[in-house]
Amino acid sequence: MNTTDLQRDEPQSAAPAPRPFSFLRGFRIIPRLETYPWVVAFAQTIAGKATILALFGLGLYYATWLHYLHNPRWKVQICFLVVVTALPQYRRIVLVLGTVCWAFGIWWQWAEHPQIVQAAISLVLAAAIFFLAIRFRTSWFGRRPVATLLTGFALTVLLASYLPKGGTLRTMSFDFLPVFGAYLWFLAYSLIDISSRKRDSVSLQVGAYQPIWGSSGTPFPKGSAYLRRIEAKTPEQLAVAQLKGLKLLAWSIILDLFLNFVYMPLVHGYLGIPYYEFVFHLSLLRTPFKWYVGWESLIADFLGKLVDFSIFGHRIIAVCRMAGFLALRNTWRPLSSPSIAEFWNRFYYYFKELLVDCFFYPAFLRYFKTWGRWRLFASTVAAAGFGNAFFHFFRDLNYIDELGFWRALAGFQSYIFYTIVLSVGIGISQMRQQKADKKNPGWIRARLISPLCVGGFFCLLRIFDYTYKRYPISESFRFLAHLFNLVS
Amino acid sequence: MERKEVIRKFLQTLLAHKSDAQPFADDGSLFLSGRLQSVDAVALAVFLEEKFGLDFAEMGFDQERLDTVNDIASLIEESSNSRQ
Repeated sequence: MNTTDLQRDEPQSAAPAPRPFSFLRGFRIIPRLETYPWVVAFAQTIAGKATILALFGLGLYYATWLHYLHNPRWKVQICFLVVVTALPQYRRIVLVLGTVCWAFGIWWQWAEHPQIVQAAISLVLAAAIFFLAIRFRTSWFGRRPVATLLTGFALTVLLASYLPKGGTLRTMSFDFLPVFGAYLWFLAYSLIDISSRKRDSVSLQVGAYQPIWGSSGTPFPKGSAYLRRIEAKTPEQLAVAQLKGLKLLAWSIILDLFLNFVYMPLVHGYLGIPYYEFVFHLSLLRTPFKWYVGWESLIADFLGKLVDFSIFGHRIIAVCRMAGFLALRNTWRPLSSPSIAEFWNRFYYYFKELLVDCFFYPAFLRYFKTWGRWRLFASTVAAAGFGNAFFHFFRDLNYIDELGFWRALAGFQSYIFYTIVLSVGIGISQMRQQKADKKNPGWIRARLISPLCVGGFFCLLRIFDYTYKRYPISESFRFLAHLFNLVS
Repeated sequence: MERKEVIRKFLQTLLAHKSDAQPFADDGSLFLSGRLQSVDAVALAVFLEEKFGLDFAEMGFDQERLDTVNDIASLIEESSNSRQ
């Protein structure tokens, strides 16, 4: 939670300390095109816009082709980008229309089980909740809209899990709730926006619900209020945003090529390091393997997933930037993080922001006001621990449907353990950081020892980072013990 | 000391922790530009609670309203007006 966001794209901090190999600091695989005045000027012309769009479309097509995907999503996105570039004054309206088309695609055309009716009901319900929160602003709900929404959703899921299995009502409930759940956190951002001075209307809010540039259950990039703030206001800002979008897409393709044509063949082919899942299953089956094989597979998996996740986030943010919203990257150099808190901030920025906005701020500013020096720590645990577990438990509703509420919760034990360790780690890291800010830790410690320790912490924690019932937590501990050669 | 001066000094301290010594104007964006972040917003909120008696639990917390020195000054003004 503690990095300068600016550094995600362009380090501008003043007076950097001298460091080894500082001559390499200025080197970039992709030049900073947005800082070249003639490029920015060209990007504002019709020819420039056409060139950027053509290159971006080519990039989207190549990224799709690279994985042998045959879906038309990239075509829908590039059509949207052409329209939004041609009509920047109607950007938010075009976004709403594009997002509606996208919703039709993801819930109907491209879905294995079409749920377009449930999606439409979800949007109407979201609009109704938004209206009610504004209408009854001084009521309990109006003053705590997000807390009420999340509590209401959790209680509805709990009640639905008690409906008789195989019954029409239960089937309908578990057809609808996952779809509404996919919009839950987008609606939460809308409800946070009701206290803003210049809140957007419900129709503009909808433009940020599962938007056309893609998203997960986590809103990318946050909600409508954030879009309003980061929207390009001038042709020059639009040119810079689009150039940065193009660069980010290019970077994601480079990472993709590296991951699939260099890293994976090298690690799992040439070096013969087995996949983590395979080694974990050896542990489950009590098949002996060397302790260092466990480490190799875990580290290889951790690094591979890091790159894979960066690609996922970069693609989304690249399209968002091309649409004229200068959003920050989702992942930015996590491996150079000097603290646990900073790694978490750099690895999955928009999820961290979601937890900060929906759990941390309310806890810090309302509920833990009198906790003195433990106020920050308690609020961090509320967000990274409770909020994190809540998000994931109510995301995977199919397990609740399948196992029932309480058995699903019991099966969630490993992830609960993961969130407890993670949140305590982040909390301690933040408290330490407050003290550490006052003294210079030195280059070796700041750039080498700390990032290695932080990486090691997250790598080990990965053993517990799974959200559905595959095996009991004891198996994760067994694998951990195996790494230290404590079991055979 | 003038209210804005007090705010400016505190923001300078926050930026200094990030080795950011670049100047900022009273209407210069700090959070939306990415120079400051959520944890800094928390530090700023605590500062405003302690120094100016703001109660964010009552007034609601909106980072947009803390983005510039001018924004913060008007928030304090608004809060003190509503208490009178």
